[in-house]
Amino acid sequence: MPDFGTVASAIISGLLLGGMMGLIALGLSIVLGVMRLVNLAHGVFLVMGAYAGLYFLKYTGIDPLLALPLLALGIAALALPLYRYLLAPLAHRGPEAQLMTMFAVAIILQNLFVFTFSADTRSIERSYATLPLSLGTVTVPLIYVIGFAIAVALILAIHGLIAHTGFGRDLRASAADPAAAATLGVNVQRVQMLTFALGTACAGVGGILIGVAFQFSPSSGGAYLLNSLAIVVLGGLGNVLGTLAGGMILGLLQSLGGLTLGDGYRDIVGMALFLLVLVFRPEGFLAARRA
Amino acid sequence: MKQHRLIGDVGILAGGFALLWFAPSFASDYALQISFRVMIYLTLAESWNLLTGSVGLVSLGTASFVGLGSYVAFGLANHFGTPLPVILMICALAGALLATVVSPALFRLRGVYFTVGTLALAALLQLLMVNLPTFGGASGIFLKHDPPPLPSLYHYALSVALVTALAMAICARTRISVIIRAVRDDEDAAAQMGVRPYRVKLGAFALASALIAMAGAVQAINLGAIEPYGTFGLQWTIDTLSMVIIGGIGWRLGPLAGVLFVVALGEMLANYPEAHIAITGVILIVLIRFAPSGIVGLLTRLFTRPRRLSSP
Amino acid sequence: MRKLHKSLQAGVLVAAGALTLGQGLAKADEIVIGASLPLSGPLAGFGSFQQWGYKHAVEEVNKAGGIAIDGKKEMVKLIIRDDQTNPNLTASNTQTLLSRDHVVAMLGSCTPALVNAGALVAERAKKPIVTGCDPLQVFTSVRKWKYAWDIFFSVPDLTVAPFKMLASAGVTTNKKLAIWHDNGPDGQANGKKLWPAFAKKFGYAVVQDAEFPINNAQFTSIISEAKAKGADVVLVDAVTPPAVAIRKQMASEGYSPKVLDIEKGAEPVQFAQALGKLADGVLVGGYWDPTFPYPGAAKLAKDFEAETKLTSSQHIADSYAAAQVLLDAIAAAGSTNADKINAAIAKTNKTYVVGPIKFAADHTSTLPIVSEQWQGGKTVIVWPKKAATGKLLFPMP
Repeated sequence: MPDFGTVASAIISGLLLGGMMGLIALGLSIVLGVMRLVNLAHGVFLVMGAYAGLYFLKYTGIDPLLALPLLALGIAALALPLYRYLLAPLAHRGPEAQLMTMFAVAIILQNLFVFTFSADTRSIERSYATLPLSLGTVTVPLIYVIGFAIAVALILAIHGLIAHTGFGRDLRASAADPAAAATLGVNVQRVQMLTFALGTACAGVGGILIGVAFQFSPSSGGAYLLNSLAIVVLGGLGNVLGTLAGGMILGLLQSLGGLTLGDGYRDIVGMALFLLVLVFRPEGFLAARRA
Repeated sequence: MKQHRLIGDVGILAGGFALLWFAPSFASDYALQISFRVMIYLTLAESWNLLTGSVGLVSLGTASFVGLGSYVAFGLANHFGTPLPVILMICALAGALLATVVSPALFRLRGVYFTVGTLALAALLQLLMVNLPTFGGASGIFLKHDPPPLPSLYHYALSVALVTALAMAICARTRISVIIRAVRDDEDAAAQMGVRPYRVKLGAFALASALIAMAGAVQAINLGAIEPYGTFGLQWTIDTLSMVIIGGIGWRLGPLAGVLFVVALGEMLANYPEAHIAITGVILIVLIRFAPSGIVGLLTRLFTRPRRLSSP
Repeated sequence: MRKLHKSLQAGVLVAAGALTLGQGLAKADEIVIGASLPLSGPLAGFGSFQQWGYKHAVEEVNKAGGIAIDGKKEMVKLIIRDDQTNPNLTASNTQTLLSRDHVVAMLGSCTPALVNAGALVAERAKKPIVTGCDPLQVFTSVRKWKYAWDIFFSVPDLTVAPFKMLASAGVTTNKKLAIWHDNGPDGQANGKKLWPAFAKKFGYAVVQDAEFPINNAQFTSIISEAKAKGADVVLVDAVTPPAVAIRKQMASEGYSPKVLDIEKGAEPVQFAQALGKLADGVLVGGYWDPTFPYPGAAKLAKDFEAETKLTSSQHIADSYAAAQVLLDAIAAAGSTNADKINAAIAKTNKTYVVGPIKFAADHTSTLPIVSEQWQGGKTVIVWPKKAATGKLLFPMP
């Protein structure tokens, strides 16, 4: 049996990491909720964010975490033409058209990354990213604490945006029933475009955090996409704070799974939990209403 | 009228099958290999078209059943020396069984949640296979004996494709098509008409899964070596999806057109290895955008009046 | 019904047209060889090095006037296809190369899953395939090969290297050993069997033996367990992305053992580039270095770096050598007949850029292993002494 320090470290690390994953999942969640789109390019957007952070640091020498707002805006701006020229024209068609378009975007971008940046594994090298933070026998990576703080701050900001602003009201209306929202005078297309940009920015910022804390390569987006889907379902669609909670629960359970069964079982714990929740709590989701 | 059409379809299929059966005696090895690939993909695409185009279940779980078929086939071949035709039948049963087992969970999910659930199922199965040493773990399994020669493999693929095409003909040309369409268009209304949507959906899901598992088995035997990343890979799901979308979702000939297009395109672009994925992506985007109902839809709109799979 | 007929006809015509388009590209007086490589997907890094190695060998032969077939000099044409790191595609690429492009022989892909998928197809078609990048024991475990040949290192050689290196360096540790390995074929062979066996032989106590999936990203539990158990020596078998993750997470959990050896993953230069200073002191087994005393070794790396402006990798050497072995065999056979080429490959006995190559009865040729250590962004050979280019950094900084 592992000692107290090991267990406590694992639990806290899991919760912190889960918070970061919650931010990434939130991007997927709002796009799914508002546009009914499983954005298969979400993971690639994350990788795009990581490269943006890496090259920003390389050319300006400024820590990408300090320039997060700027980088997030830049990434969000890239999403606008994607929506305008690729997704918007397909809005009236079934979900497969947009799904496949985003998949095509994902493979094009991934190919582009390999072409431009090579398939090498990269990491945004910051000295604080590898410092431990110790309290007695409990040790957690400092970067987890930093990443968690940033993620929670952003999630709360988005929660405020959706709960308390005019844009948030339009967003909620569009998510609930686009047709009805349109008759009430909501510019659904504009809402969807901004939502898509916001979702992409979440992925991008998450990517920068991942890039600093871990490592990435053109093909590393897929794993984060699946993880995010699990969190979205756990936390409940459209529930911003639920997504944070979902992320932390998943992080905790994955950590405990890793501790008891071995790190190889982390992802299995995640997927199994995901399916269980899907099966036993579907009434909590949009599923109750007919699409 | 319907019966008449069914008999016509079966006639065409039987004729085509008989003709294609003798291909090994005149076609080159290359043509046979391409045809093999076309048959495998055609089975996957037809099955997916039935689920999505006809019943309205958008599945991202194709890889689950390809992988299942592959592993069951290798298990039977390596441990029991089962003959291939029997293996295919057992794989079909296994596919239908897995579909039935997971359906209570998956069918509680509607719309996009069903899609996400099928994707998760494939991911979970892949992770399990990677982690369970019983099934060879990440290194996978090798076929103990050499697979049958190409003409024979081709005949198996052709037979699986024929079974698929016959099943699709029955679904499209009999009263079943009316029921399927009722469920796709409005489950609740269909239920009020006395149709049981759950059973219809389960039937389609089990049928599609059985067919996909058979295709997976033939493909695995052709490879001679399987491992979880390739057999349970998202690539199968995505390939299938893009073929049907390119061909035209819901159209009778959509899958065939999509498969022929994608396979031919792959062969033509293969000489540009650095860019061929990106080019495929661009073509996909353009087709989705400007040919909303695929190649078949485009051609039909140009030349004739529309005809859909489930039209009376 | 008529419409169905028409569409079917159109479909068949389109397909036939498309397929004929792709055919007949090779000229009659060319020797065509093929390769399917991971140019995209997770292994694209390996694929790009191999592609250069294969192409370079072919270019050199062509510059020298080609190869004489039945007394007449012919140029060599190498057709490369991308398998996207997917064994299904390696198999279908190999099938197409053999049946459409009529290649006379194949060069292999990289890593067991891909190499084996292609080799199985070539074997069935009775066409020779020369490959590197597939550890010999994994290669021979697939089947008894007749047409496939593998030039690479032997797994036990690689596995025992860190123990021999530590013994010869005469450094002291607490002899507590932690083993972390992925669940791929070589990871399991190393981590489950070979390392524990060698640990026993060399007097180490295995305090932890942890397994994880190939693409794992989180190692916090594994690391904290090793830290709690106080292991001085950590042996890891992982591909590059998890290798980078492991090194970073070890630092961020405050765990620094005296010796850290990461097989496979720590070998490419991207490992050191991604980690910067953290890479210093990490050990890895290697099978080639430009300083090796074999003909053309230094020049090969120089050519690569001049041409691509990238740092060279040992993967340019085994791929270059594999292509040379094949081309030499075609020349020796003086024919494009598959069986004659295959017989000539079997007779290979020459020193290439990776060292002497001579195939054993099981179709393998073993490359010797050295222990390398990352020091200041470069690898330094620290064992064996006769090949050493630097001193062991101990303990790891």
